[in-house]
Amino acid sequence: MSNNLISYLLQYAGILLEACLVIYVARSPRRGQLAGVSLYLSCLLGTALGRGFALGTYGWRSPQYSYVYWTTDFLLVISAFLLVCHFFRRACLSQDKLWGFVRLLLCFSFVLVAGISGVSFVSHYGGLSLPYVVEFSQDLYFTCLVLNTLLYLMLQQIRSIDDQLGLLVCGVGIQFAGPTATMALYHLTTGQRFSAALTSYMIPMCTVGMLVVWAYALVYVSDRDTKVTPRRNPVLAEVTAD
Amino acid sequence: MKNLVVTLLLALLVVLTAVSVRRMVAGNATSTGSPALVAIGADPVPPLLPPPPPKPSN
Repeated sequence: MSNNLISYLLQYAGILLEACLVIYVARSPRRGQLAGVSLYLSCLLGTALGRGFALGTYGWRSPQYSYVYWTTDFLLVISAFLLVCHFFRRACLSQDKLWGFVRLLLCFSFVLVAGISGVSFVSHYGGLSLPYVVEFSQDLYFTCLVLNTLLYLMLQQIRSIDDQLGLLVCGVGIQFAGPTATMALYHLTTGQRFSAALTSYMIPMCTVGMLVVWAYALVYVSDRDTKVTPRRNPVLAEVTAD
Repeated sequence: MKNLVVTLLLALLVVLTAVSVRRMVAGNATSTGSPALVAIGADPVPPLLPPPPPKPSN
């Protein structure tokens, strides 16, 4: 009973926060700059409503809810990848050469993930098999985690003073790193009951945590243009040189 | 051309790192015999995984 209560609390808190943030961003004068955030929040809200309907209609243990959950998760991971691309673009606003390099990197990463997921799916076909969509979304999820970490490091390197972007990236970091860390804990504790219970709650908790950080970033942190110091990182300078 | 190769290698490094991290933390089987999965969203994670695709008939 208490487990269900916690699950429902997290679910409704997520829907409430998502709806509030979508409305806030839509009414914000800077909604053009926050297009990626708006898209991701809209996907989160639409997905939450669809999953809520499936959960209420078919039940938690039903295969229908499982189908809806993992199909919509694929859409969410795709929109998360687009969000990370949008954050990279915002971080490179004043550096066109760096953006040209990063854009190519993002395109190659997406194509490689699709290829590696396909190879992995084919090699497991008939054995431990999952639909390709789930395999692809899992690999893309972890790619987003690595790319988001790279983005955070890049923001430190170029000394960006866009505080809002830094907080938004940290929020996405909570979203991606939290469940990953819990999975690692589950692995280390060889599936003990505590870590198993923590695993089931960590994904919703991290999403709510991300939304809280985003709410703070969007409402209280002023948005400033990205400015960089004249000193450039030697590695980035070499890579982006003609 | 040099930039293209460097970018491709970096993208490969990023993706292989991501896949390796996944295999390390989430690739092991759970107590139910299914692989652990991560997801996005505040909704309850379903206990069931999507059913496997049908095996190809010979």
